[in-house]
Amino acid sequence: MRRSFNWTLILSVLLALTLGVAACGDDEGDEGGEQGTSQGTPAEGKKGGTLTALWTDDVDNIDCGITYYQMGFQVCSATQKALYGYEPGDAVNAVPDLAESDPQISEDGKTVTVTIKSGVMFSPPVDREVTSADVKYAIERGFFNTINNGYAGAYLGDIEGAEVGADPGTEIPGIETPDDRTIVFNLAKGTGGTLVGALALPLSAPVPKEYAQEFDKQQPSAYGQNQVATGPYMIENDESGKAIGYQAGRRIHLVRNPNWNAETDFRPAYVDEIDMPQGNDDTTVASRKILEGQSMINGDFDPDPAILKQVVSNQEELLTLIPGGAGRWIAMNTTIPPFDNVDLRRAVVAGFDREAMRLTRGGELIGDIPTHIIPPEMPGFEEAGGLEGPGIDFMSNPAGDTELSAEYFRKAGYESGKYDGTEEILMVGTSDGVAQKAAEVAKENFEKMGFKIRLRLVTQDSMYTKFCNEPKAKVAICPNVGWLKDFSDPQTYLDPTFNGDNILETGNVNWSQLDVPELNQEMNEAKLLTDPQERADAWAEIDRKVTELAPAVFWLWDKSPTIRSENVIGAASGYIGTWDLSFTSVN
Amino acid sequence: MSTGTGASDLLHAEDSGLDQMVRGEQAVAARSPLQLFWRRFRRDKVAMTALVFIGILILVAIFAGPITRLFGAPAPNVQQTSALDSFGLPSGPSSEHLFGVDPLGRDVFSRVLYGAQVSLTVAFIGTGMSVVIGVILGTIAAYYRRWVDTVIARTLDVMLAFPVLLLGLGLATACSGEDGCVGGLIQPGLSVVIAIIVIANTPYVARIIRGQVLSLREKEFVEASRSLGASNTRIMFRDILPNLVAPIIVYATLFIPANILLEAALSFLGVGVQPPRASWGDMLSDAVSIFDSAWWFMFFPGMALLLTVLAFNLVGDGLQDALNPKSTKSS
Amino acid sequence: MAAYIVRRLLWVIFLLFVVTLVTFTVFTVLPAADPAVLRAGRQPSPELVASIREQFGLDDPYIVQFLRYIGDILPFLGGDGFNFGYSYQSNQEVLPQILDRLPATMFLTVGAVVLWLSIGIPIGMISAVKTGSWLDRLTMGLALIAISAPVYFLGLVALFLFDDSIGRFPLLPGSGAYQDAENVLGKAEALIMPWCVLAAAFAAIYARFLRGNLIDTMQEDYIRTARAKGLSERRVIFRHGVRSAITPIVTLLGLDIGILLGGAILTETVFNIQGIGRFAYEAIVRFDLPVIQGTVLFGAFFIVIMSLLVDILYAFIDPRVRY
Repeated sequence: MRRSFNWTLILSVLLALTLGVAACGDDEGDEGGEQGTSQGTPAEGKKGGTLTALWTDDVDNIDCGITYYQMGFQVCSATQKALYGYEPGDAVNAVPDLAESDPQISEDGKTVTVTIKSGVMFSPPVDREVTSADVKYAIERGFFNTINNGYAGAYLGDIEGAEVGADPGTEIPGIETPDDRTIVFNLAKGTGGTLVGALALPLSAPVPKEYAQEFDKQQPSAYGQNQVATGPYMIENDESGKAIGYQAGRRIHLVRNPNWNAETDFRPAYVDEIDMPQGNDDTTVASRKILEGQSMINGDFDPDPAILKQVVSNQEELLTLIPGGAGRWIAMNTTIPPFDNVDLRRAVVAGFDREAMRLTRGGELIGDIPTHIIPPEMPGFEEAGGLEGPGIDFMSNPAGDTELSAEYFRKAGYESGKYDGTEEILMVGTSDGVAQKAAEVAKENFEKMGFKIRLRLVTQDSMYTKFCNEPKAKVAICPNVGWLKDFSDPQTYLDPTFNGDNILETGNVNWSQLDVPELNQEMNEAKLLTDPQERADAWAEIDRKVTELAPAVFWLWDKSPTIRSENVIGAASGYIGTWDLSFTSVN
Repeated sequence: MSTGTGASDLLHAEDSGLDQMVRGEQAVAARSPLQLFWRRFRRDKVAMTALVFIGILILVAIFAGPITRLFGAPAPNVQQTSALDSFGLPSGPSSEHLFGVDPLGRDVFSRVLYGAQVSLTVAFIGTGMSVVIGVILGTIAAYYRRWVDTVIARTLDVMLAFPVLLLGLGLATACSGEDGCVGGLIQPGLSVVIAIIVIANTPYVARIIRGQVLSLREKEFVEASRSLGASNTRIMFRDILPNLVAPIIVYATLFIPANILLEAALSFLGVGVQPPRASWGDMLSDAVSIFDSAWWFMFFPGMALLLTVLAFNLVGDGLQDALNPKSTKSS
Repeated sequence: MAAYIVRRLLWVIFLLFVVTLVTFTVFTVLPAADPAVLRAGRQPSPELVASIREQFGLDDPYIVQFLRYIGDILPFLGGDGFNFGYSYQSNQEVLPQILDRLPATMFLTVGAVVLWLSIGIPIGMISAVKTGSWLDRLTMGLALIAISAPVYFLGLVALFLFDDSIGRFPLLPGSGAYQDAENVLGKAEALIMPWCVLAAAFAAIYARFLRGNLIDTMQEDYIRTARAKGLSERRVIFRHGVRSAITPIVTLLGLDIGILLGGAILTETVFNIQGIGRFAYEAIVRFDLPVIQGTVLFGAFFIVIMSLLVDILYAFIDPRVRY
């Protein structure tokens, strides 16, 4: 599966700083280096060698200020120092990366102050120390109309003076830099708690204005092909700064950043070179190469079920499963009858064979069947009931419970215990790969319950941009949708997807078009909380309420399968949802 | 698309009767060219076998339902997760599932039989439409000549310049929007495939027919008709068209297998008939990722395609040989 | 002759223009995916989408967008020319990406052509001369089978049998080997199976075609005359028979090469070769209009140019042709 373009598989896990814990002075998230298993930070890695990651496709964008998908994030986490970052073992608590310490949030949530480390240098050819002005520029450029970063508006849009679609060079008055190492964000609303989470996203990685502005004036910006780095690695470039290590669609080649100072960084950076050849579309062949070869890991694809089976029986230690704060569901459009009836929706969820859905992707190994919404390894997960769930009856049967389903159908007014309408209901799914099978299984399940389904299969991009994300297309069921947290805050999982205020005319991701005013209110209030535990509790409560309204059939909490060659000591990052290049080593 | 040997001068059909009479090989009772043609065709055992196979195939396509039930196989769209293992991988041929199952647990035997429906329907309808349109265009172009000819011939050239598969892909993708194309007439599924077949085939048919008509219009009988005062349409229909029947049949039978392959290729690339409808090309595309472990999934649909296309090719060859007695049998 | 070439070149340019226009129409006027919303990411706000639309000029009238595209390509209209736009997905320039993948498609095509000509033509000739013999029947039978099998089925069977990592008789590098290969020799080795699979159907077609044409030609009067004059059979076949039978083959060859250069999508898909065909296919699925237009244009260009070359060649081979 083409990870970098599969929306539902995007594991761009950004763990939000636990807000306010800074205020309590308790936060430490830097216990790296002890675990020694491949599921966390390796104990000791050998320095040197070349790591090869096999990819099928390209990054969505090589510019760290534009990329919004997992693979782009993986590369940027190796080449850039954003303000905050994560260690492989801890997907929940962020650690200061470029920042020196945790951010300071004012009481009213309208001011956020961050201090950055000194001694961090840009790679050649810029060759100078990073200052706060570089962070300011990095964020400003996300709003340029030559760049159009996808999340700038969503998470940083409340900064005073920030406007999407600004001309290149436009400054944002709300970002102040009183000295070379301090940045102050002034917000128009009290959403400082959300902002700090977003500071772990690659957009906050510094960009030298004097070097980049010429590139940013071009339409589209050419900075990506000429970028500089602050992390331990950089895209190989020539003296003028041209990133020759990036061949679009072919290969990304990372080498060590000569100006990187290990003392300013929590990353060990073991290997000397990272090679990422693309075009390995036959994932079975690629997986075999990795398992039988040396110094290789998988890149942007999941090994398919046949490989999983083989690995589990022979070489289980080469497989790592990473829960990534991602989930999949089948959205029912609550504005289209009969899905406007809540009992009917509950009946559907109760009777659905979710195990058959999961089987299309490889079975038990690749994830758990949800009992509520917030996925594992996120704050709010345990509070919402954990794996057991809050005990909602129609969510308790992974294989489907026909009797319970019939009961709910009767409550909805269908005496026969099944749906008896005769109209054709429109379901739009994707024709790409494995997801197509999921759509077909979904159709089967609906039909067993008496619905007459018209299944339309289109390309994934078409499905999103012309059907499921367009309310006016009036699609009743979207079986191939899902979500991925942007950073480790349940708000990023529940708000865009189930808050009625976020129903957009175009590009809508509240696929169920759930719009319950009390719930919306509750969500909007939760956004303004600054204490992490309060947040977790509030969103867990929202989770339960939304689940009870059964706006969708939640059928998977993903665990990403990743594989490596036997001589690779891999560090799997829950943050990115795949291997952490700066912590992985080869023997 | 190349069409094998050129059945250039099909008026030989009449000569052959004369030939045999002169050699005293048969009774003097005259037989129509059609009867002679059929006799010659019948003698070609290989072609006859292929024809019988096609007949069987058509029957299978029509009676796919009862046949699958006869063999005890489940319906083609029934998903049985019991036939999949814990990783979701399909099981192979067994007494329950003669040809094994596909990754969704559907019976391959059923799907292969039902797949015949798609292949044959698309090929016949698509070819039929292209032939009709191509004949009309080619005849008009060649008959009227001058600017009519130039416009039509140039348009055909433009169509021939397009990379067909790419254009087909593009058309199918573009028409997958809410309303399809041409006011909903062309939607993802059968209609798109047929449209693409028509666009791909018509230029070839038109060109060939144009060549035929160009030579035919110079023949004496046409001139005779004209001097008798016959209108253009009458000449086209009464004099020229009947002489085109033979090449039309031959080329149609040659295009059908190519169109079966084209539909399969489009389904292979994901823009053919919509699932869950069974199509051989679609099944082959699913097989690509699992063919080394689930060989049955590649083998049975692939062989079905191969045998079907082979049969049509053999019949086409047989027809050509039967119509052109000068050329010796090809195999 | 020169006038003919000029006329034909003008026709080529016109043809390419029409192809571009049609492609553009199909993918812009009949949109099945919105590239601006795609590019906007997972939470597109209306402002963001609007900004992206402006960034790519998607709000301009179609005519303007089209003319802008044409203007960017042609070298003498102000800009540098040969700017085929930027991929909507990766923001990288289209032309370098196409040129990057062209060698693979060319290598695949050239190899296959050499293979099928060296197999198909001799077989065609021999079968024509020894009509009805068991050799004739055998080769024509095999040829029929080769034509009847879809190329991806042959490809899958070949991989199943001979792929050196998973095949039953591991012999040859399999799918994906092409881009791993480091030197020309390695790449050639990786292409052996694709060449064979691609060439099989074509060899069969050419053999049958040549056979049919040669048989027809051999029955012409002038052949009888040549024989009557006492020329050796070999001379008759080669000097007279083949020469006239070969001309339609040349036309066919030109067309086929042109088509293959535009991208042998099916072969490239099964064997995982990063050529133009595959690139075009991926772009179509992603609705990356600039890439689609670029690849279709290249494909049409090859078809049309080869057709022109063939026609010019005709004029040299066949003295009857006058322009």
